[in-house]
Amino acid sequence: MHELLLQTFLNATYAASYIALVAVGLVLIFGVMGVINFAHGELYMLGAYGVVAVYVGAQQSFLLAVAVGLMFVGLVGLLMERALFRPLRDNPLSGLVASIGLLLILQALAAIFFGVRMEHIPPVTQEVLRFSDGVSLPLQRLFVIVAAIVLLTGLWMFLKRTRFGWALRASAEDREAAQLQGISVTRIAQLAMVIGAGLAGVAGALTAPLVRVYPYMGHSVIVTVFIVIIVGGVGSLEGAVIAAIAYAFVHTFVTTFFDGVVADIVGLLLMLMVLVVRPTGLFGARDRA
Amino acid sequence: MLLECDNLVVRYERVVALEDVSIRVPESGVVCLLGANGAGKSSFLRVVSGLVKPASGDVRFHGESLLKLSPEEIVVRGVAHVPEGRRVFPGLTVEENLRVGAYLRRDKHAIEEDLERVFSYFPRLRERHRQSARTMSGGEQQMLAIGRALMAKPKLLLLDEPSMGLAPVVVEEIVEIISRISRGGMPAVLVEQNASLALSISEYGYVLENRRIALEGVASDLRGNDHVRRAYLGG
Ligand SMILES: Nc1ncnc2c1ncn2[C@@H]1O[C@H](COP(=O)(O)OP(=O)(O)OP(=O)(O)O)[C@@H](O)[C@H]1O
Ligand SMILES: [Mg+2]
Repeated sequence: MHELLLQTFLNATYAASYIALVAVGLVLIFGVMGVINFAHGELYMLGAYGVVAVYVGAQQSFLLAVAVGLMFVGLVGLLMERALFRPLRDNPLSGLVASIGLLLILQALAAIFFGVRMEHIPPVTQEVLRFSDGVSLPLQRLFVIVAAIVLLTGLWMFLKRTRFGWALRASAEDREAAQLQGISVTRIAQLAMVIGAGLAGVAGALTAPLVRVYPYMGHSVIVTVFIVIIVGGVGSLEGAVIAAIAYAFVHTFVTTFFDGVVADIVGLLLMLMVLVVRPTGLFGARDRA
Repeated sequence: MLLECDNLVVRYERVVALEDVSIRVPESGVVCLLGANGAGKSSFLRVVSGLVKPASGDVRFHGESLLKLSPEEIVVRGVAHVPEGRRVFPGLTVEENLRVGAYLRRDKHAIEEDLERVFSYFPRLRERHRQSARTMSGGEQQMLAIGRALMAKPKLLLLDEPSMGLAPVVVEEIVEIISRISRGGMPAVLVEQNASLALSISEYGYVLENRRIALEGVASDLRGNDHVRRAYLGG
């Protein structure tokens, strides 16, 4: 029992890692642009297909594939800002609708280029860290955990220590007041889009060998991430990370000790409970202008 | 003249906020703009800082028209706007708010000096520099908003109702600082509903009524003007 708990703990840590990466990107984009990016799950999917193309297809190293996934998806984010969100800046609702349209387009493109079947991605490493008989952690999962810690810490430092980070937070809080400080809202939107999309892309690329890769894989991730950002308080980065951890732990433990369907239900109930007790989410105390 | 605004007309969808408004601001001293709620005072400042584009008229700063410039470019030219309601960034610390004010500056050394200067104007900000702005009192937030504008190293300060919602003692403190900043060589446009306060630290004033300039003159003359006394000075 003791070992099962430890093993479940490791599994949950892994799940929390990639959920947090995707959720934080979504919150960042929402904070700066006021738009819920429904195509965020597809950015995650594109990251995974980056690995399919570069690591499986072109036979390059996995690290290179992740880097390409990061840059490619970051670029897609930049294009989304230019083509969708900037023209619709003053109308968050149409931005949302446009992102739903884009979601379908990206799924269709992935299906056209790669087909709708599941991709088989050979594991990068078969290495497994064995802590004891019943407790182990595949190295591939450790990559994801380490990457999430490094990237989220890096993002945190960027937001707290650099002038672009302050400008980004300022724009998210009060766009007009930020303009009065000489901050270009467009630049900051681009920055948020590149970072947010890039994080989703990295998450997709790193988890590609561990999950089922197919054109509609973004769906299950985005549902989880929506629950997470609602629980965390839409717009709160800290909330997203903490809610990702909380959700992943509850979900993984319930899955292990009951089953996956019960875990999904518990996750939704958790969200409802938070919404009843604190409609703004756990960390959503912020007043938006 | 530092700032010349000629025949400004501002419209929002159906509302006309300013009609044929001309205002001049010299290279030094405080010019105040008085008017009741909804008179169009904020709209005027928003035109100068580029947040609103006028339907017609011109705004020139150092002789250069600002009409085609973005708010960011206007900040670069040296206009700093302390908006109505302070609008500090609540989740940023006091120091981060101030540093965001210096966002476009590259002169690292001078930024640190200006930070020190702002702290010397407002010792309360120094004491609380690591505290998030949302935890500050109204008066402290106003100080922060003014300090943030000073961090841009502006050539002209636009102040939109700095006394709004503050206790009389705090208002006095803020007014004292504004006049100190202005005596230090910083020209300012002060928008106020509190006319006696505004006239006490201004050299020149304009009165906005029904979207137009109803009256303008040297501050001491305005203080003695019957209409101003009746309508704005409570007697
Ligand atoms: N964004 C806007 N859209 C539509 N109408 C607006 C907008 N901003 C201001 N107005 C209207 O323009 C007029 C002038 O507003 P403005 O805010 O400039 O007045 P003010 O003198 O600053 O008032 P107050 O003392 O209340 O701050 C008002 O009738 C106001 O309702
Ligand atoms: Mg106003």
